[in-house]
Amino acid sequence: MTLWEFLSDRLGRGVGTLCGAAVAALFLMATGTRPGVVALLALGFLLVFVGAYTVEFLRLRAQLAELEAILEGLEKKYLFSACIPTPKDHYQRKLFDLTRRSGKSMLEAVSQAQAAQRAYRDYIEAWVHEIKTPITAAQLLCRDLEGDKRRKLTQELAQVEAHVERALFYARAESPERDCVIRQGSLDAIVSQAIQAHRALLIQSGIRVETEGLDCTVYTDEKWTAFLLGQILQNAARYRGQAPVICISAQPLGQKVVLTVADNGMGIPAHELPRVCERGFTGSNGRLRGGSTGMGLYLCRKLAAFLELDFQITSQEGEGTQVMLTFPATAGAEV
Amino acid sequence: MQTILIVEDDPVIREELQLLLENEGYRALALETFTDVPGQVCAQNADLLLLDLGLPGRDGLALCAAIRKRSKLPIVIVTSRDSTTDELRALSLGSDDYITKPYNIPVLLARVRAVLRRSGGQAEPERLEAAGLRLDLAKGQVWAGERQAELTRNELQILAHLLRHAGEIVSRADLIEALWDSQIYIDDNTLSVNVTRLRAKLDSIGCPGCIKTRRGMGYQL
Repeated sequence: MTLWEFLSDRLGRGVGTLCGAAVAALFLMATGTRPGVVALLALGFLLVFVGAYTVEFLRLRAQLAELEAILEGLEKKYLFSACIPTPKDHYQRKLFDLTRRSGKSMLEAVSQAQAAQRAYRDYIEAWVHEIKTPITAAQLLCRDLEGDKRRKLTQELAQVEAHVERALFYARAESPERDCVIRQGSLDAIVSQAIQAHRALLIQSGIRVETEGLDCTVYTDEKWTAFLLGQILQNAARYRGQAPVICISAQPLGQKVVLTVADNGMGIPAHELPRVCERGFTGSNGRLRGGSTGMGLYLCRKLAAFLELDFQITSQEGEGTQVMLTFPATAGAEV
Repeated sequence: MQTILIVEDDPVIREELQLLLENEGYRALALETFTDVPGQVCAQNADLLLLDLGLPGRDGLALCAAIRKRSKLPIVIVTSRDSTTDELRALSLGSDDYITKPYNIPVLLARVRAVLRRSGGQAEPERLEAAGLRLDLAKGQVWAGERQAELTRNELQILAHLLRHAGEIVSRADLIEALWDSQIYIDDNTLSVNVTRLRAKLDSIGCPGCIKTRRGMGYQL
């Protein structure tokens, strides 16, 4: 609070007091008090007046600074009204009581919303697990079909599965700490898990996958990383070009490991590149081909941030896209 | 013949799984009722147990631990719960492998084979023989009589798949699927190139034309 703000709040009262003092001085003069005495009284009065205002200003300023500090220190700012000291004067206490009551009702609303969100997440997860049983049964059943029908149906089922997986990870990404387990794993195994999960789509798209230098150890959550790679593979298959090839390679970078997934597909226009990880963003390629959800890369970036993977995309339109995943340093993690 | 016991509450999956495993040359049994599962499982004396974690009204993991307490039977858990936490818990409770639904059928069969092999069942054959050819899978060599040729990994897997299905027509798509099972992720064109090279090698050891092209259908050995 600036001095000016303080004074402007008290303008009416201050002018009133000074007018009162002037009237009193005139009265004293008229009733024959000596001007010297009146001047002395006026000076004394002015000193008390200025002193009182100064003290009040300093007190209010200190109080505001304290409240500001409390708010700064709070991780959950909405708990503010529950954390501040009760003021001493009656008027402020009434105000404080009102804020506290409104804060309490907001807290209830927040915790209700959180509980509802948790319940919804749990339901999505349970639903995803349930839907997997009929998908499995359908997959087993379509073995009996004749070659081409079987492959097409298998691919459709794989697509259903991919959508279901995305829903599951979208729900999980809301509170990732719940089932993320970082442990030592083989990069080769993670990559082949991702390729096998999307093999129906990849084979059907006529894609060749080359792997190189994957025999290294990384510290990450295998399932999440495989899901993340799966999104990249699906994009590479969806936006493929002529004679599609996906090249998956790993290089050590100091203590880190960089995994590169490069394709020779249609690429991403330079002006769209900064936005591809936004939620619901479907670029010109997505609109052209259809079937783009704008979710895959959004989830990738979110999960990568949680797994502390560095996630970078580069692309040349018409030539291909490269996705670089940098796994964090492994030294010291081996405890 | 090895016996695989299936504990799965979904009847369609149960029947299809049973058919699938029987086609692969196993004896497949399935539990129809789910009272006293550990007792029933131990009474069957199977070589491997495929256990679904989501049985109605009970905790599959507790079941797994109860079976493990009474028997050394290899357990492969099949479940739709797929978080790493679930998997770690299952493995720490004594299961031998953990497969998530919906499973890829070749992957499921490969995992079953691997667990059976680890638990002391018969090993995968190192050699394949048919149509006058002898293939040494470990060394990557093919023999025709006394003449021998070295094969690359891709050529080896192509020939192995054809030998396993000697006499049958193998479609290009099936061949590609089989190669993907062995982590060889090739496309149709690369397959053609590899088959041409393989034919040239077989030619050089005195077996010209032993891989026949059946137009519009595939290859036949």
